[in-house]
Amino acid sequence: MLRSNVALTIIVSLLPLASLIFLGMEALGTDWGALFTDETWRDSLFITLYVVGISTFLSLVIGTWLARVVVQKRWRFTSAILRIPMFVPHIAAAYLFWLLFSGGGIGWVEANERNYMTVILTYIWKETPFVFLMMLGTYEQLNRGYVEMAKTLQLSRFDQFKHAEFPFLIKPLLDSTWILIAFVSFAYEIPALLGVTYPKLLGVLAYERLSTGLYLEATEPYAVALIWTCLVGMGVLVSYILTSSIRRRIERGVRR
Amino acid sequence: MKTWKLLFALMMLTFVAACSNDQPVEFSDSFETAVETAEGTTVNMYMWGGDEGINDYIDDYVAPRVNEEYGVELNRVAMDTAEFIRQLSLDQKADRQVGTIDVVWINGDNFRNAKQAGLLRGGLMERVPNATLLNETAQQTDAGTPTDNLELAWGNVQFILHYDAERIQNPPTTFEELRRWTEDNPGRFTYPEVNDFTGNAFVRHLLYERYGAQLTDDPTIDEAFWDDLKAWSPHLWKEGQTYPKTLEQLDQLYASGEVWMTMGFNERRAEAEVTKGIFPKETRALLLDHSIASTHFLAIPFNAPNPDGALVLIQELLSPDAQLVKQGPDYWGDGTSLDLTKLDEADRQAFKELGDGVTYPDTEQLRERSIPDYGPDVIDAVREEWPRVAK
Repeated sequence: MLRSNVALTIIVSLLPLASLIFLGMEALGTDWGALFTDETWRDSLFITLYVVGISTFLSLVIGTWLARVVVQKRWRFTSAILRIPMFVPHIAAAYLFWLLFSGGGIGWVEANERNYMTVILTYIWKETPFVFLMMLGTYEQLNRGYVEMAKTLQLSRFDQFKHAEFPFLIKPLLDSTWILIAFVSFAYEIPALLGVTYPKLLGVLAYERLSTGLYLEATEPYAVALIWTCLVGMGVLVSYILTSSIRRRIERGVRR
Repeated sequence: MKTWKLLFALMMLTFVAACSNDQPVEFSDSFETAVETAEGTTVNMYMWGGDEGINDYIDDYVAPRVNEEYGVELNRVAMDTAEFIRQLSLDQKADRQVGTIDVVWINGDNFRNAKQAGLLRGGLMERVPNATLLNETAQQTDAGTPTDNLELAWGNVQFILHYDAERIQNPPTTFEELRRWTEDNPGRFTYPEVNDFTGNAFVRHLLYERYGAQLTDDPTIDEAFWDDLKAWSPHLWKEGQTYPKTLEQLDQLYASGEVWMTMGFNERRAEAEVTKGIFPKETRALLLDHSIASTHFLAIPFNAPNPDGALVLIQELLSPDAQLVKQGPDYWGDGTSLDLTKLDEADRQAFKELGDGVTYPDTEQLRERSIPDYGPDVIDAVREEWPRVAK
């Protein structure tokens, strides 16, 4: 069985590489200078960074906080309720928020507005349960001894969290962060329904460029996808290398 | 070791399967043989699926009929036109001679692209008997591109706006008046963005207002045109900050009363929507200065796996019976592509008896104001330059 495991591992790890090669081949012939100065792509990149940044950050904070509270207070019911959004498809979530916030909206939260608030809200609603589940396991296994010790040492609440909890959260937080960033930055349904004509998020713009006649021969969407994949890949690599020593220390500590 | 080998064999198999290039499946020699070979097969028809009435027409009316008459199973696949053209062009790049698509519904720039790339089969006129009934003018060109026997006309429609007469007592009668109307009624009008078929056509109507037919020969559009369009946008829905992505979205806005007008190709499109209670009860047609006439077509891809089945289906779709139901108010309301003078008396009479719906425009006026479409170059130019309006 071991051999087939190895084979499976090789295939799975070769897939991203193959997709990179594919993107690279399709991106051949792109006028890179024109791409970097193209205002449409640039504005799309900025608005994507903004949406990805806010929705990922807030999902992480809220999801982690919820996991913490649920474990501490043993709220079984809340824990079950919180999973529900996970089972709603993204397209249905987008439509739900469109129904809620189109035609007037609530305050400055309105569908199809340039501030992309409804898109961010939909992502938070969809991704918070994911973060919650990722963190729930961590919190359930968390060694309460460290927190007790921090309390005994009379650390402030913030310092208690910082020294007795946060180090154990680094790994699942990093995992969740990159999954969310990779997913949200190039997703289609939600920004397609709730977004605006200009600027569009990267995924929507890329799809539009690929599927309309005018750009049938376009290489730019592939080039953009290639650049973005490399950026995310580098981010993953750097962030894991930077935290490797602390993660290793924690893992040993937990196992002891 | 065994599993490892198995896995390897499996991988090779997928690889080989992906690379195989079979011989393309050819048409039978005559339509009669095609009918025989087609019996018991499935035909995959790929078409835009954004309209319930159209989908129902295919699923509830056409599919049972071809099954009964020819023993052919019809499988409708809903997909955006540009997308399956793209899929065909990928098939071609990969030299995939036996594909998945048998019949496509196509026109305009998509046809131009497919024709240039050589994605369609020729010689349809001779192979489909009912093609002799077609309206010859409609069959000749597709938005400025000669059809060259690569596609057969399926329907014939004109561009029209619809408005809610309960909210608008004195509707505008020209594009200029429409502009003034939006100044008095801010936020109550918009059009789909120009990557959408209908949105692009609306902008072409505005172009025709300024340039007339001359743009056909020289598709250069002045800066001033775009500046004017940009200056108009603050009076539109959401102050022009965004536009509906598709016609379906605009229809939804119209149905919910957020905007008071909608638009589209096909002068009869609103009838079924009103009957079903989706569009406002007092929906009426709004014919402005001119209206682009547009024909849409059926074609068979180069790598159709069941070309004979495709011929049978097209024969059925072009039959007077099927065309009559298509034009009627029950499903679709799509104008026939047949030349009524070529039909026999009973069929001709049946078309005449279809009559007018309350949301139809005046037939005479509609014909008088009909204009031919610009070629694909103008469609492309609009796509390329309009985004500055939305910025």
